[in-house]
Amino acid sequence: MIETPRSRDILKAHHRREALKTLLVHGALILACGVCVYPLLRILAVSLRPGDRIISTDLAIIPQGATWISYIRVFGETNFLFWLWNSLVITVATSVVGVALASTAAYAFSRFRFPGQKLGLSFLLGTQMLPAGMLILPLFLMIMRLKLMNTYLGMVIAYSVSSLPFSIWILKGYYDTIPRSLEEAALVDGTSVFGAFYRIVLPLSTPALAIAFLFNFTQAWNEYLVARVILTDSFKYTWTLGLFDLQGQYLTQWGMFAAASLLVTMPVMAVFLYSSKWLLTGMTLGGVKG
Amino acid sequence: MLAPVLQVLQFALLIAGAVALLEGWLHYHFTRHEKAWFLPVGVLGTVTLVLAGAGALAGGSVEPARLLSLGLGTVAAECAVALFFKHVVRGRHSLPFMLLAPAALGLGLLIAYPLVFEVYLAFHDLKLTTIMAWSRTGELPFVGLKHFGKVFTSSPLSEVSFWQLLLRTVWWTFVNVFFHVAGGFVMALLLNSVTRFKGVYRMLLIVPWAMPQVVAVLAMRGEFHSQYGFVNVMLTKLASAAPFLGDLGVGPVQWLGQHPFLTCTIINVWLGIPFMAVVILGGLQSISRHYYDAASIDGASAFQQFRMITLPLIRPVLAPAVTLGTVWTFNNINVIYLVTGQAGGTEDADILVSALYKAAFAFYRYSYSAAFALIVFLLLFTFSMVWLKWSKGSESLYD
Amino acid sequence: MASVTFKSITKRFGGNEVLHDVSLRIADKEFLVLVGPSGCGKSTLLRMLAGLEETSEGEIHIGEKLVNHLPPRGREIAMVFQDYALYPHMTVEENMSFGLRLKGIAPDEVDRRVLRAAAILQIEPLLKRTPRQLSGGQRQRVAIGRAIVREPKVFLFDEPLSNLDAKLREEMRIEIAKLHQKLATTIIYVTHDQVEAMTLATRIAVVNGGRIQQVGTPTEVFGRPENMFVAGFIGSPTMNFIEGELQLADGGLRFKTEGVDVPVLGGTGGEPAGPAVLGVRPEAIAIERGEARDGAVPAEIEVIELLGYRKNVHVKVAGVKALASVGAAFGGEPGERVGLRFDPAGVHLFEKATGRRIR
Repeated sequence: MIETPRSRDILKAHHRREALKTLLVHGALILACGVCVYPLLRILAVSLRPGDRIISTDLAIIPQGATWISYIRVFGETNFLFWLWNSLVITVATSVVGVALASTAAYAFSRFRFPGQKLGLSFLLGTQMLPAGMLILPLFLMIMRLKLMNTYLGMVIAYSVSSLPFSIWILKGYYDTIPRSLEEAALVDGTSVFGAFYRIVLPLSTPALAIAFLFNFTQAWNEYLVARVILTDSFKYTWTLGLFDLQGQYLTQWGMFAAASLLVTMPVMAVFLYSSKWLLTGMTLGGVKG
Repeated sequence: MLAPVLQVLQFALLIAGAVALLEGWLHYHFTRHEKAWFLPVGVLGTVTLVLAGAGALAGGSVEPARLLSLGLGTVAAECAVALFFKHVVRGRHSLPFMLLAPAALGLGLLIAYPLVFEVYLAFHDLKLTTIMAWSRTGELPFVGLKHFGKVFTSSPLSEVSFWQLLLRTVWWTFVNVFFHVAGGFVMALLLNSVTRFKGVYRMLLIVPWAMPQVVAVLAMRGEFHSQYGFVNVMLTKLASAAPFLGDLGVGPVQWLGQHPFLTCTIINVWLGIPFMAVVILGGLQSISRHYYDAASIDGASAFQQFRMITLPLIRPVLAPAVTLGTVWTFNNINVIYLVTGQAGGTEDADILVSALYKAAFAFYRYSYSAAFALIVFLLLFTFSMVWLKWSKGSESLYD
Repeated sequence: MASVTFKSITKRFGGNEVLHDVSLRIADKEFLVLVGPSGCGKSTLLRMLAGLEETSEGEIHIGEKLVNHLPPRGREIAMVFQDYALYPHMTVEENMSFGLRLKGIAPDEVDRRVLRAAAILQIEPLLKRTPRQLSGGQRQRVAIGRAIVREPKVFLFDEPLSNLDAKLREEMRIEIAKLHQKLATTIIYVTHDQVEAMTLATRIAVVNGGRIQQVGTPTEVFGRPENMFVAGFIGSPTMNFIEGELQLADGGLRFKTEGVDVPVLGGTGGEPAGPAVLGVRPEAIAIERGEARDGAVPAEIEVIELLGYRKNVHVKVAGVKALASVGAAFGGEPGERVGLRFDPAGVHLFEKATGRRIR
């Protein structure tokens, strides 16, 4: 084809329009990212402010006279370390219990046909329809009667099954993708039925087990409402309770609130961002199957 | 630091022990049902287990009369169970049930039993003045449907009525889900149209979702502070920079004091868009390029392509996400509770579930809130059933 | 090493009966191929022998031992699966030694057996790899190797070659045949491919509709099919069938239908006259160009396919389509009228109503 001056102009205009479109799209995305990230940056800003300027209308991300003082005060003046430790113990124990229970139950749902199977799966789905807070009251009363208020055990009991339906769905979905012939080969090779599960299916399901663990972990780690009811002793608080109290009381504690927030957010967020793709697959899997 | 570690070990042992006992009990019933001594040994073992468990729970101080009735009850129950295993189950399906048992026990004790307990509470009278007596004796006066009636006639909190809460909940759910889906669509379409920096954008856009909700909500609440929050600082600056805007009424707003519901809604929309955006983006990426090629050769405009290809093809992904999102939004206590605070705070932002939580734990009206919870449960359950039926019916079009 | 006996086996899935009263005895060191179309029950039979499916009725013996009630691990068998079922999280070596380690066999004995099997199958360089890093043919070898190291009484193969491409399939077929010679054990092999059945088996059992149709050596099954199903299933290209009438004439038996009148050899006169189906393999048809004469069967050529060394000639005879396989030198053209001659030894007759062999 011959490129005439006229066709060159047409193409030039076309390219200009395309470039403008790309520019607009990127502009919109940058704006949206700003809206999403800015509150986090503001937390950083407040956490870095010096003591006399905690409360200010300053919008700078790195404030004048930035200092680490708030971080030091969080450890020195609050029970932050206790809160973190409490959260960690409760969360790890909950997640281990939750994943252990889910891994075997999901296998039963994935590989066997037994009476009550459909009913069981519907029950799992039905638990997702319960209004939030509905179970907190009876759980609170049960835990009170068992004298487990302000204990790790009470918290683990209250948390342990809350993510179970979801974990079972995720794991069942994953088990379903593992060919049965692998287990049959193991049976012929000499394992029992449970041995085939334990030696073949479980090791192959590590990605799904990790996702279920992460899901349990984030749920328990970020939980607030149940903890508020069961834990009343500031030394037994999880970090969510501690943070709420820091933010709620006096404006002067904003610096510490911000510093503590960043400290708990960063690791969780890093893990979350890293695993969000798989977490999402699990979630929509559970949703779609329903 | 040693005591907590010991405590953790203690839990592990406790839970492992409970599971082992449960599995042992089941294994016995599944595999020994043909033996002559099946029933007597089963009864003996189960009664021992139950009595030992009851003794351990009560700290060794159980009245003999209670112990006796518990023992006799267990004998009767175990006889029934053992005969069931002997004549109906006969060892079939042992493996799936043994695999399920621990989870089933957990779900039974921590979801099913509490639900039954909730019903019991709703028909009895437990409140701040009776709770001490109850925790000693375990007995409560029966009051029938009284609490169910009160849910509709008196305020669950101090002013706001059930009907106001219901209306606000519906509005809250609708507005939030609408903006989540709309915002999610815009984000996803924008993301899907760029090639450069896609990963970076995606990562930054899901920050609100990735942050622990408590931190995110509390931080946002700070930004709506009347004096030092980002929003009002900006509005003030805007008004002073362009006085005509100030004349039009642009200026600082008492967000938390006067517009708590609006504030909660804005915060929740901000929180919820990323999830929808990622779900929709996943859906968009799964649509084959060929459909768009075919459509553009057929002469469809960009808008027509969106309407005729994108929307219908994304439905299988969108429908469950919207269902989930609706239930989550309906159930969202966190945002409202964390923004409006505890008792004595404003009630202008409360929805059903947050009022439910406050009625129980800020106003200590336990039985009342149990009745309230059952009503909310019925509402949500009915809605879910209708919705599922409807969406299943239309989903089958695409299968 | 052991024989295998199926005694009156019936299998039901729910209310659906998929195997009806199947009995079969497989001698020690025999290579028995179960062949049939998909869904005929052949795999189910194999899986019941392996202990992967319950038996609804009947008895299965390995050697003299009743095994119905035993789990797979108690049956001293090894199995090669259609999708190989190699454990993805283990190396080749671990895959092969898994069963031995479960049995608690001493590590040096495990190593010895794995190395020997690897040598037989020429997969020594692959031992440290994972299944993901192997090609289809290599995976196949590893799956077989995993079966060999167990030194079982019976080898079971469940359509092991169906996931390979044509060339590899041929290669592996030869390997398996060699293996049987080398190991001299009982092998039961399930396939839907009659070529595999013909080339590998010492005996073939043709299965259809949950019943065994015929058991015999490849020569027997090919040369004297018991019924129309076996006749049509074994042999490629498949046998031609022409419906007609069996008549007694001039003291001999003749098969007649429009335009067709062929004598049936060896007719004793005891066979019932009546509706019948004539079966003739494509290789047993010779074509004479020009109008049919001297008792040749008149036909018209429809399509000719050149295969290189042979030609497939599709003809229309007595109103039905038939195929003749002739030398590549055949010079006919589509549309041409020709005469067909059936090699009397290659003609089979079946009862029309039951499909059973008459002669």
